[in-house]
Amino acid sequence: MMKVCIGILTAAVVFAVFFVVPPAEGLGYYVRLAFFHIPLAWVSVLAFFLGAWWALRYLKSPAPILDRRSSRAIALGLVFAVLATLSGAVFSKLTWGAYWNWDPRQTTIFVLLLIYGAYLTLRSAVRDPQKRARSSAVYALFSFLTVPFLVFILPRLYFSLHPSPILNGSGSIDMDPVMLVVLVAALVDMTLIYLALLKYLVARPDKGGYLDEP
Amino acid sequence: MKLSVWAGIRLVVHKEITAGLRFRAAWTAMLMFAVTSLACLSLALQGRDPGPVILAALLWILLFFSSFAGADRVFTDEAATGTLEVLKIYGPSQAVLFGKMIYSFGLLFVLACVLVPLYLILLDVTVLDWGLFSAVIFAGLAGIAAAGTLIAALTVGSSVHNGLFSVLMFPVILPVFLPAIGLTQQALTGDGAGLAYLGGIVLYDMILAVAASLLFDYLWYED
Repeated sequence: MMKVCIGILTAAVVFAVFFVVPPAEGLGYYVRLAFFHIPLAWVSVLAFFLGAWWALRYLKSPAPILDRRSSRAIALGLVFAVLATLSGAVFSKLTWGAYWNWDPRQTTIFVLLLIYGAYLTLRSAVRDPQKRARSSAVYALFSFLTVPFLVFILPRLYFSLHPSPILNGSGSIDMDPVMLVVLVAALVDMTLIYLALLKYLVARPDKGGYLDEP
Repeated sequence: MKLSVWAGIRLVVHKEITAGLRFRAAWTAMLMFAVTSLACLSLALQGRDPGPVILAALLWILLFFSSFAGADRVFTDEAATGTLEVLKIYGPSQAVLFGKMIYSFGLLFVLACVLVPLYLILLDVTVLDWGLFSAVIFAGLAGIAAAGTLIAALTVGSSVHNGLFSVLMFPVILPVFLPAIGLTQQALTGDGAGLAYLGGIVLYDMILAVAASLLFDYLWYED
């Protein structure tokens, strides 16, 4: 049932993005890419939060299922973060003329990729399953300390060409109503896709790999 | 025998210094790595002035990667010699963590005392704001020591050591690395207007130390 709902919502979002959303001022039809890029970026951050949350719960009460959820949330988050980075780079090329220029938002997603990569490298490097689960949970929480810096400090350190967030500095929503509805639907859709994939990965039987539970 | 945390920290620092002086490879490897990297840069530049932005970035790249060459050994050397288990039996976790953190900071301070004067001479760097320059280096090294001690504890028991420490360390230390480069650039040009960022680095250092303290018990006391 859930799969059918996600399928219908995905089809509706794709249709709306290509046939309903009006061209944006200054961006034209390139704005269509934003309806994939923004939800991908949102899920990349959500995966990090979920991974850290389950890591915290694992440290408090070391149940193997919590490590399993944490590691797979982060491994899947890496895929979404890579897709968000690639779609962002293409959007950047189309609108700013370069794939990469270390804009604060690009730096943020790059650091997120580094954290995901470091977490998975640590898991693959520790052989003992108990120690692997504990060390990676500690790292997931320790790396979480960078979030306030990436969200609040980094954008103030460097000039950004990135379009303003949907909620601007005055706290109001500055977006065409049709675009806003489609964007919210795309965000919900991408979140559901992520959660469905995560559920599948957590339920999948172990193969003795470094993502598997102790 | 029950020790206070302070007494335990003092003992751990004393033990680290004694072991460090007895087995000098860690110190010399880190210092030689720093000097060799600096010499490479100086040779490549051939006396040309790359400007304050590049000079500031070069200093921090040298400091970070040289410190990574030494700070990752604080637990792995103990694991290799078999003394880690003894320390686990007799050493309270917080005393071990902060003792090793203070020792790491001392090690990095010695590194800076060797590297920074050579950097100033070989790259012909003029510092216009010595107070800011010293404070940034001090705060940056404190951050590396705070984060590095916990990260070093994470890498114990891993099958890969070379490179893993840097991979784990870099994302965590980036909030120190980026503002430190900006502040060092200001110290070189004399535009010392970024004291708020220096406060930010110090605050982040403290957050790293507190978080390391909270998380270290989970690594130290195994089930």
